[in-house]
Amino acid sequence: MSGESASALQRSQVDLLDFVDWSGVECLNQSGSHSLPNALKQGYREDEGLNLESDADEQLLINIPFLQVIKLHSIVIKGPEEEGPKTVKLFANREHMGFSNVNDFPPSDTAVLSEDNLKGKPVIVKYVKFQNVRSLTIFIEDNQSGSDITKVQKIVLCGTTVETTDMKGLKKIEDH
Amino acid sequence: MRNGDYSPNRFQAQADAVNLICGAKTQSNPENTVGVLTMAGKGVRVLVTPTSDLGKILACMHGAPEQTPGACAPLSLGARLSKTPRLGGYEAQGPAPCLEIGGEMNLAAGIQVAQLALKHRQNKKQQQRIIVFAGSPVKYDKKVLELIGRKLKKNSVALDIVSFGEEDEEKNEKLEALLAAVNNNDSSHIVHVPSGPSALSDVLISTAIFTGDGEGGSGFAAAAAASGFEFGVDPNLDPELALALRVSMEEERARQEAAAKKAAEEASKQEKGEQQSTSQDATMTENVNPGTSEPEKKTHDLTDDENALLQQALAMSMDDSSSTVAVRDTDMSDASADDHDLQLALQLSVQESAAEQSNQTDVNKLLADQSFVSSILTSLPGVDPNDPHVKDLLASMQSQSEQSKEEDKTPKEEENKSSILYTVLRGVQAGGACNGI
Repeated sequence: MSGESASALQRSQVDLLDFVDWSGVECLNQSGSHSLPNALKQGYREDEGLNLESDADEQLLINIPFLQVIKLHSIVIKGPEEEGPKTVKLFANREHMGFSNVNDFPPSDTAVLSEDNLKGKPVIVKYVKFQNVRSLTIFIEDNQSGSDITKVQKIVLCGTTVETTDMKGLKKIEDH
Repeated sequence: MRNGDYSPNRFQAQADAVNLICGAKTQSNPENTVGVLTMAGKGVRVLVTPTSDLGKILACMHGAPEQTPGACAPLSLGARLSKTPRLGGYEAQGPAPCLEIGGEMNLAAGIQVAQLALKHRQNKKQQQRIIVFAGSPVKYDKKVLELIGRKLKKNSVALDIVSFGEEDEEKNEKLEALLAAVNNNDSSHIVHVPSGPSALSDVLISTAIFTGDGEGGSGFAAAAAASGFEFGVDPNLDPELALALRVSMEEERARQEAAAKKAAEEASKQEKGEQQSTSQDATMTENVNPGTSEPEKKTHDLTDDENALLQQALAMSMDDSSSTVAVRDTDMSDASADDHDLQLALQLSVQESAAEQSNQTDVNKLLADQSFVSSILTSLPGVDPNDPHVKDLLASMQSQSEQSKEEDKTPKEEENKSSILYTVLRGVQAGGACNGI
């Protein structure tokens, strides 16, 4: 039963791109010309030439709020072999963090990306920690080669939505 | 900081510039907040935490006049640093400390504390910006400054540097390096203000720091500099207001001219008014009383009720605007609906006045024409020409008309004529039986 439901869950994973609240998406230390939409947005992220790059140093702090509560199942981070990210920390529901206090909180999950991951293999996150996610913060701590610039080509978030009321769908009952 | 190379002295010039910038920032966006801290002296001290209340900021800036520092302060320089997150509100707490001239500034510590203060802003959606007033020399290495700059850039904090005071090659280099490290898409600026006659604030107004990313900073600056627009209102910003002001100014001017003219005439009229009223007092009061329900029009300097009534009535008839005349018409026509003679007389006087000012002489003549008047009066029901009241009226009218022949243009004379007629008529109405009113 649980196995079935688990696989059912897996099958019903959707790309959470539709639920991203773009007005609140932020990325600290990104380079001006190579910014976050290059890695997140549909179309841009498929383009190999468009990357998200870091600016002053190799760290990146990405904050992605969602339009509704979601459960995060896995993420895919694609990047070049050398400058792709290595250590990635995920924080659920911690907004407005800065580089100074990012290490003050324990991350909800930590992932060390391998080459396969950088080619597109999804990283399964600790599902139990991401049951009730309003916003996700991705902290890229370093990159594969230790260079000054980290490059990310694509970020995909997979998961499911929690049953929430769509307020727009609510219609007033007309009196007959 | 006490150097006179900026008027009145560096410290004061700096304070003025800071006030100006705070004002500009708070005005350009209602959600902006501004804080101020000092870098020199014992240590970095936050004077005002970011707030959108300009009053608090200015109060703190005027906290106390500068006091002489302690023993060794080789250059006695102090610099101030302010931070301006945009788009948000924040409440400042605590009392306002006073402003002293301390020692040299501690740039690195100052910037770091500023960054910290910005980090703890209440509205996280605000963008962060630090404005540094660097008067003292910079004692830190270029490397240290670059590191600081990079850190600022990483946390997306913009930096504006106002370099003044000591002209120092090294200082310029360091500050430029700092700016280069921070600058991200031209969001950060540096301004070198050399010493000279022009005030620090004036130089700043024209720079990018003020006009800051195309906000309303320039508008504020223009207003602050007492723009040369008429009425102090920019026709571009507020055309309706400017137009309204201009129109009202012209109206006022016209009104004053008319009033001045009237006053001059009034002065000459007053003498005559005195003479006439004394003889008429006793007899006229009775007739006057019924007619006290006069319409609005008032003129100043009335010696007695009779004059007031006369002038009012004449004013009504003399008035160029047809509307008032029409009002008059309706009033009287209501009152004397059945009395055609009255109407005739009224129309006559009204037409005369409405037609031409210069035709007043005609009215004069008409009214002065005893026979004409008596003919009217006789045709009126309830009027006995032999009535003593009426006789007195006629007598006064005669005397007035004689005098008026010398003073053709005086409107007050005209008032007397037609208003006497009116008074007579009213008196007739009251005295006689009610005429179907």
